[in-house]
Amino acid sequence: MSHPSRSGYWVLIVLALAVLVPLFSLLTQGNSSDVVGLNFWQSHYLRQVLFFSLWQAFLSAGLSIALALLVARAFAHHGAFPFRSLLLRLFGLPLVVPSIVAVMGVVSIYGSNGWIPLGRSLYGLNGILLAHVFFNMPLAVRLLLPVWQSIPPHHWQMSEQLGLNRWQQWRHLEWQALRESLPGISLLIFMLCLTSFAVVLTLGGGPKSTTLEVAIYQSLRFDFDPHQAVSLALLQLGLCLLVAWGSSLFHKLPDVEISLSNTPLNTGIVGRYMNTFVITAAVIFVGMPLIAMVIDAFNNSILTVLSNPGLWLSAGLTLLIGISASTLSVLAGWLLLSTSTDYAMLGKKRKASVIEMLGSVVYVVPPLVIGTGLFVLLAPHINVFEWAIPVVILINAIMGLPFVVRTLGPAMRQSKMRYQHLCENLALTKWQRFKTVDWPLLRKSVGLSSALVAAMAMGDLGVIALFGTPEIITLPLMLYHQLSAYLIPNAAVTAVFLLGFCLSVFWLLEKLIGGKTNAEY
Amino acid sequence: MLSIEGLEFCYGATDANSSFPMCFDLTVNAGEILSLIGPSGSGKSTLLKLIAGFNAASKGCIKINGQQIQLLSPAKRPVTMVFQEHNLFPHLDVYTNVALGMNPSLQLTVQQNRAVDDALENLGLAGMQKRSPGSLSGGQRQRVALARALVRKHAILLLDEAFAALGPAQREEMIALVKTMVEDQNMCALLVSHQPTDALLASKRTAFVHHGQIFKIDETEKLLNRSDLTEINKYLGA
Amino acid sequence: MSTIYKISAAILLSAVVSSSCMAAKPTLTVYTYDSFTSDWGPGPKVKMAFEETCECNLSLVGLEDGVSLLNRLKLEGKNTKADVLLGIDTNLTADARASGLFSEHQLTVTNSSLPNAWNDDTFLPYDYGYFAFVYNMELLKNPPTSLKELVEDANGPTILIQDPRTSTPGLGFMLWVKKVYGDKSDEAWEKLSKRIVTVSKGWSEAYGLFLKGEADMVLSYTTSPAYHIIAEEDKRFAAAEFSEGHYQQIEVAGLVAASQQQGLGKKFLAFMQGEKFQNIIPTTNWMYPAALDRASLPEGFKGLVEPSIALLFSDSDIANNRKKWVGEWLEVMSK
Repeated sequence: MSHPSRSGYWVLIVLALAVLVPLFSLLTQGNSSDVVGLNFWQSHYLRQVLFFSLWQAFLSAGLSIALALLVARAFAHHGAFPFRSLLLRLFGLPLVVPSIVAVMGVVSIYGSNGWIPLGRSLYGLNGILLAHVFFNMPLAVRLLLPVWQSIPPHHWQMSEQLGLNRWQQWRHLEWQALRESLPGISLLIFMLCLTSFAVVLTLGGGPKSTTLEVAIYQSLRFDFDPHQAVSLALLQLGLCLLVAWGSSLFHKLPDVEISLSNTPLNTGIVGRYMNTFVITAAVIFVGMPLIAMVIDAFNNSILTVLSNPGLWLSAGLTLLIGISASTLSVLAGWLLLSTSTDYAMLGKKRKASVIEMLGSVVYVVPPLVIGTGLFVLLAPHINVFEWAIPVVILINAIMGLPFVVRTLGPAMRQSKMRYQHLCENLALTKWQRFKTVDWPLLRKSVGLSSALVAAMAMGDLGVIALFGTPEIITLPLMLYHQLSAYLIPNAAVTAVFLLGFCLSVFWLLEKLIGGKTNAEY
Repeated sequence: MLSIEGLEFCYGATDANSSFPMCFDLTVNAGEILSLIGPSGSGKSTLLKLIAGFNAASKGCIKINGQQIQLLSPAKRPVTMVFQEHNLFPHLDVYTNVALGMNPSLQLTVQQNRAVDDALENLGLAGMQKRSPGSLSGGQRQRVALARALVRKHAILLLDEAFAALGPAQREEMIALVKTMVEDQNMCALLVSHQPTDALLASKRTAFVHHGQIFKIDETEKLLNRSDLTEINKYLGA
Repeated sequence: MSTIYKISAAILLSAVVSSSCMAAKPTLTVYTYDSFTSDWGPGPKVKMAFEETCECNLSLVGLEDGVSLLNRLKLEGKNTKADVLLGIDTNLTADARASGLFSEHQLTVTNSSLPNAWNDDTFLPYDYGYFAFVYNMELLKNPPTSLKELVEDANGPTILIQDPRTSTPGLGFMLWVKKVYGDKSDEAWEKLSKRIVTVSKGWSEAYGLFLKGEADMVLSYTTSPAYHIIAEEDKRFAAAEFSEGHYQQIEVAGLVAASQQQGLGKKFLAFMQGEKFQNIIPTTNWMYPAALDRASLPEGFKGLVEPSIALLFSDSDIANNRKKWVGEWLEVMSK
């Protein structure tokens, strides 16, 4: 295999074109404002925003990951937990909850009239962390769980024989296996928290809690200062690259090949109780706001909302956007990973992780900025109303790429490490290899990544409002319309409908693509 | 006849543990199993990978019956390699795993089908067509891999510690199978093993590989008794 | 994959075909905010009423809010598809006028119901309202009666407001404080900030939190209780009247200079000031119509707080100072 696949470079080039060209086309707009000058960069405000963005993202991501490690470990050690796979599927849900609905859900639980009232102390860092852990911990659990399944069973047996305690097991087995995926997963969660907007602003208690994302929104929307918006977006991208570089220092591809197994592990009776406790606590934490949303939805506008044909049209459109974005994203991710795993096979691990990282970090360029840029670029040449859907799909596909890299990457690397030589030796053509080897071995991971990206795209309000195409109303947009028309009970119903709809699509995609085998991760 | 002439290779600096230049010269006769022994990291497996084309040599040539093959892609080389593990795709049954060797598109003619069945029968796997690799023992799995090598009928057979996970009786049996196969099909085979007994069983000639070179090549029994050479002594232990 | 694209192509095609079928009649394109065009906003009714008389198609394009409307128009410049822009407020009119993208309406305002005289050659108002703090009368017995009382009473009610950087009511309240406190606004904000539960991104978040009982009062409009009275028959909510007066929001529309449909556009602006349009506004946009007799308002509007003093900065004041004032606000609120 002296020639690694080049396809990943094409993906990176297309990605760069799709993100950077709109950014620079924005620079042709508006007058170069005085604010971009040193004055702005030296301002106390910007320094504070920078500090706060990073601080809250570090804390949120750190907490989410730490808790997710505990929960994923408990899930891994407790293969027989009742409703395990249903619960794990439920953990894919917070990802799709539109932020405003999540805020309401969190407030239903921890607000002054909630089940666990935290009063005013909810607003500030507490609220931000609560909401971010609610959003991201379940996702991290889903992403981390396969790592446990990648530890070969005889390693567990060996550790048992050696009499390793839980900590030693963790240090010698689990931690070693985690070193491959943990930096990437942490980076993804970090990016999700860094770009959080409505959650931070609303639960943050005031403008003290301002993230860069807010500042970008402000400069593009209220101040209409594209130059400043682009500078800030690039700053955010730069920061993220820096963090990505830092996290890659901890990154370690496994020296030995690892195997996919799913043997239940023996844990002592104490361990068993611990695991049950951890899982139960996590399920309660994630479940409560979701249940609160469902309770809110039991009001007398259920029939009005569900009998509105507009709702079903929107559902169809939302589905179209979700499925197309996820197809595109998985396809691009596959090509990108083909190249990076080829490099990893050749021992060029550094190059491999750089390629994967470049494919992921574009996530932090705000869709509003890309969308506005694309608009500037396209509006003079085409009828933007007709192109709204493709553009929304494109942007969602770009935003989904880091999810694909995280879910499909390790599986693809493993399959290549193990079967690359055999396939070459057997002289399988690319297509034969895809059909008989790659697809059957990777379809489970492909199923999970398509489900994640589709769900994310479906719950995203995104840039659809930017185009204002009259016929195009997605479910999240409909939800916002209802909220701004005081129809809060209707919005509650729509929110739960959206959740249920996303859950079914998630389940279907995992089943259809992932195949009959019990979708475990 | 397989001949290897001045084949040079050096791992990139990234692989710090084995970054010395290697150079190999060797011939294997048709119908012969040549064993390769030597310390870990000496370059035995690397030599096999060079022949199979997984690693590209910087210099030298590999000839099979006079034809140079070192520039061909792995898929184009008349080589079958059997690894220590992961020779079989876990999601495909025994039959399909062997059939892949016959025709990767899996569209087999009646004769080809029969050839697959025959090969399985030859290796004592009759009736196991529908079994999944996971349900087989380690020995059975390696036999399936050998069955696949059998149907491929390639001139070169490379065994990379293929029997390392098997017990003595099973190894003996497998080596006997390989011997018949190599003789019947007039293959050139290379066997990498950590067990000098394997070499004794399988090969008239054995090569001792040391520090990226064929250090000594001789009749197996003689080579294993060369107590005058410290390298070999050290490897075999007291 | 290919099927998906076939489906999406089909949807796109049908959109194109349906719009070209109707192309026999002229189409008037109006850019507005999306809560105007949504099923629950004035949009659908306005479209029906106007198309009955105009011999044309009315295409309402709903963008996120007033600010994005103007940005969109600036981005499109001379190539815009918009004939009329409806939905910016007086905070933005100076900026909009300066962009040179609008032409004068050349209409006279005859039956204005605005408390203040309207002299703007470019923009015409269609509705207006007053910002106010809304509360639940059962839970808050003694609401403050002035902004000063709200600010200065350390044991006063807790409030939810919106961010002036991202929301119109948020900006309105900031201007309200500026109007009342002038140079002393900083001190007012400092006092008030202790009782601000949170500053949300938009109106929906704050109002939602208020209904969940997160604070005693929420920044909204004097007309908000009318929604609860009319649509939900819920009479618990009221707006607190402040003696200094209430900051006003006037929403306007203007003709786009680059439009090929100047005549039709004018016709729409005239229609907008007419009775039909004006009667749609109260119960869909929940604002006061700008050209309708008080007597014609629905019952639910009659008992509402009606501020005696309307506070408003001139649009040029806002254009010149907004950035600076928002900066000051940030400074004091970030401490």
